[in-house]
Amino acid sequence: MSPAFLNFVEIVLNGLMTGVMYSLVALGFVLIFKASGIFNFAQGVMALFAALTLVGLQTGQVPFSHLINAIFGTEIHHWGGGMHTVFAILITMAVMIILAFLIEKIVLKHLVNQEPIILFMATIGLAYFLEGAGDLMWGADVKVLNVGLPSGGSFWWEDVTREWASTGSEYWGMYIDKLDVTATVIALILVTVLTAFSQYTATGRALRAVADDHQAAMSVGISLRTIWVIVWSIAGFVALVAGIMWGSKSGIQFSLSLIALKALPVLILGGFTSIPGAIIGGLIIGVGEKLAEAYVGPLVGGAIENWFAYMLALAFLLFRPQGLFGDKIIERI
Amino acid sequence: MNVQFSSSKISTDDGLSPGETILHVDNISLSFGGVKAIQDVSFDIKKGEVRAIIGPNGAGKTSMLNVINGFYHPQQGTITYRGEERRKMRTHIAAKQGIARTFQNIALFTGMSTLDNIMAGRITLQKRNLIWHALWHGPAQREELEHRAAVEQIIDFLELEHIRKTPVGRLPYGLKKRVELGRALAAEPALLLLDEPMAGMNLEEKEDMSRFILDVNNQFGTTIALIEHDMGVVMDLSDRVMVLDYGRKIGDGTPDEVRNNQNVIDAYLGVPHDE
Amino acid sequence: MLYREAGDFKTNYAADQQTFPIKSERWLFWAFMAFAFFVVPFFIDDYWNKAVLMPLLIYAMAALGLNILTGYCGQVSLGTGGFMAVGAYAAYKLMTSFPGMDMFSVVILSGAVTAGVGILFGLPSLRIKGFYLAVATLAAQFFLVWMFNKFAWFYNYSASGQITAPERSIFGIAVTGPSTAPWATYLFALSILFVFAWVARNLTRGRLGRSWMAIRDMDIAAEIIGVSPLKAKLSAFAISSFYVGMAGAMFFANYLGSIEVTEAFGIEKSFLVLFMVIIGGLGSILGSFLGAAFLVLLPVLLKNIMVGYLGWPTDLAAHFQIMMVGALIVIFLIAEPHGMAQLWRLAKEKLRLWPFPY
Repeated sequence: MSPAFLNFVEIVLNGLMTGVMYSLVALGFVLIFKASGIFNFAQGVMALFAALTLVGLQTGQVPFSHLINAIFGTEIHHWGGGMHTVFAILITMAVMIILAFLIEKIVLKHLVNQEPIILFMATIGLAYFLEGAGDLMWGADVKVLNVGLPSGGSFWWEDVTREWASTGSEYWGMYIDKLDVTATVIALILVTVLTAFSQYTATGRALRAVADDHQAAMSVGISLRTIWVIVWSIAGFVALVAGIMWGSKSGIQFSLSLIALKALPVLILGGFTSIPGAIIGGLIIGVGEKLAEAYVGPLVGGAIENWFAYMLALAFLLFRPQGLFGDKIIERI
Repeated sequence: MNVQFSSSKISTDDGLSPGETILHVDNISLSFGGVKAIQDVSFDIKKGEVRAIIGPNGAGKTSMLNVINGFYHPQQGTITYRGEERRKMRTHIAAKQGIARTFQNIALFTGMSTLDNIMAGRITLQKRNLIWHALWHGPAQREELEHRAAVEQIIDFLELEHIRKTPVGRLPYGLKKRVELGRALAAEPALLLLDEPMAGMNLEEKEDMSRFILDVNNQFGTTIALIEHDMGVVMDLSDRVMVLDYGRKIGDGTPDEVRNNQNVIDAYLGVPHDE
Repeated sequence: MLYREAGDFKTNYAADQQTFPIKSERWLFWAFMAFAFFVVPFFIDDYWNKAVLMPLLIYAMAALGLNILTGYCGQVSLGTGGFMAVGAYAAYKLMTSFPGMDMFSVVILSGAVTAGVGILFGLPSLRIKGFYLAVATLAAQFFLVWMFNKFAWFYNYSASGQITAPERSIFGIAVTGPSTAPWATYLFALSILFVFAWVARNLTRGRLGRSWMAIRDMDIAAEIIGVSPLKAKLSAFAISSFYVGMAGAMFFANYLGSIEVTEAFGIEKSFLVLFMVIIGGLGSILGSFLGAAFLVLLPVLLKNIMVGYLGWPTDLAAHFQIMMVGALIVIFLIAEPHGMAQLWRLAKEKLRLWPFPY
């Protein structure tokens, strides 16, 4: 195999794995949108918030320490050595569930029956609130998250691929980050579990009923509000997983929440209500973006990753406004 | 109701004399995927008449109106409107050529007042461009005031004075229907399509609406095509009636002819109608 | 009884259609304008100008633009930051390429350039709606910022990648550059805003405004009554971008004087202006002003309290402020989805009856 082709394969593989990461965030969007028709703009910030909380607990930071210090003139910042990662993850999950409960109680309850655009705006407000709250609780400095996932390049894979290149060519093997592979595996497990949950449990059935028709679901005795808390909790869980993955990969900082914006073109491709759509959309965006950066980027000055995904989604929309899996829309009057 | 419109600003004069064919529909077929909504239907509408389209639910009546004003594009057949054979057309162009309509499920602009809704009906008649509008004082305002005067006539005619500035979202159903009729009338249409103008109304409201429709027809000379389920109303109002069933035409003629048509009785009217 | 409309009869349609149909409201408006034009310039200092008044005027302009697109025509845009950048860079290129051009022309031409770009990015709106369109406008946001960053021609190949406004004047008085008087930039921005707020009111009260609102409320029915979606949507994009572009030009030239695109016109700008429009009131000219004023004044106020009075560190105050803004948006949406303009209307209803409860 020629080095050019192997390079191409490497880019595609890396694109696929980046795509999985996008899908992880998109998944959270889809869950909430299906169950409540809310386009939850705060999903990315929820991932950031979850990751911040996790690191804070892990390293034993005192929440709101900056604020407390500013008010009382104290000098606290840590309460000892921190805690085991597993405990930290569990407590973070509990925090996300409480958060879901509060969001339902304080925000959503009052906005039932509002137009979708109003709810969308409310989640933007929520995103700002969580962003400010996260920084206020744990500080805004860039943090390193290490939960013991394997990371770094795989030498084994580098050696294997070097063998593939035709003899005499200058090829040093493919670079694949072990963390990306782990993320892919975890994402696959997550999707399987979620699908099984929605197919085989009573709660899952209730979720699907609500997604289909709010009124009908309520009329057979499903409590909409309980369902919403559950859905937001699950979305919080997905956010936690995404936060761990992205945080381990690139550190925990504000730009993490911008990754959530990348989930939007993914959703446009895959549709707002389809879990397989979120996965496939993510893969297309991931691969497309990496290929464009590698082959088109150098021609126009690079860094086109920033906007390529949106342009791709836009071009796609112009030819198929209903998305990848949507039915053709027949307008009625 | 005895308003004199001799000095009226509302007119629907289109150069055709009463009795001439204004619209001719030839062998129209329309389908969505495998569903055949309309199959090979032909009919015509003459200037100045009230033409009814009746039939059971799902017979293709609304689809037929949608074809006439360009919202649906038929797979086969032609439409000749005012002597001009039409191919595929955008609805806003049909509107500019004088086809206005109301809707089965009210389609008003809920964020706007009654006045603005009816003014919106005159969008095709207002000509001043963006620059004049930006300056407002002068030609744009003059034009606006002329049209306001015309709209006030319609408001007067439909007895909507008291809700002139009310956002239409707050109006009761019957008034909404009337505002919608006003909006369609404001365009001074040559052909007015009414999709179930009396659906969901009580007897009194139906009488009011019937009176408005007849007045529009008599005083403005507007040609009207309407869909309605209330047989009494249809038979009283219309000059000619076409009957659709499963997308096919099964009867066409004066109310009496249709009433005695065996196909129509079997498909739709059931027992003979006693008036 | 403070606010009367009884006895204020209208005898013709023109009087019925005026902007302030009630006499006391008309007086209030003109008194306020006289204060802004003839009193404020004598007392203005650099802090008030830079911290409060200039951002208020400029954001009001941007909010006005976005309100035309989102509030009147119903097309949600998250690309405001990108369009402001177009205005800023157009102003920079105009100022450096034509040194003799006066500042009014620069700002208006920058708006015109942005209008062109707006039409281009508005084209997708003919096929796609709602959230889908919002994402499409994100493409504009990221693409435009990237473009101004990558192509050195836009910033005249300066080493820092920044653009800096040279001194330009109007009637011989400097309104850009390092040596401007606070009152000069203030009056410049105020005059432009005054004129174009009036134009916006004119555009929205007539046929054009009605065709936008028709598209917003029910696009299918709008087309059936004869509104051309192409003309209505693209004109909304063009005019909205025109305003946003002018705001961008003034933001760069008159307000900051020197900017770097990713910092000044990032996605946060898009959200900020969107928030102003929501909090102020969608589909309301007054709302654009109220929203801009609220979101400009709130941080200043919070900062003064937290940093100045309580003595907190600034980064802490900044986090707190982000949190507060988020919370306020949610509170506003819950309490009054139609924004501050609606609150104002309700207050007037109350005032009309005051002191009687009914």
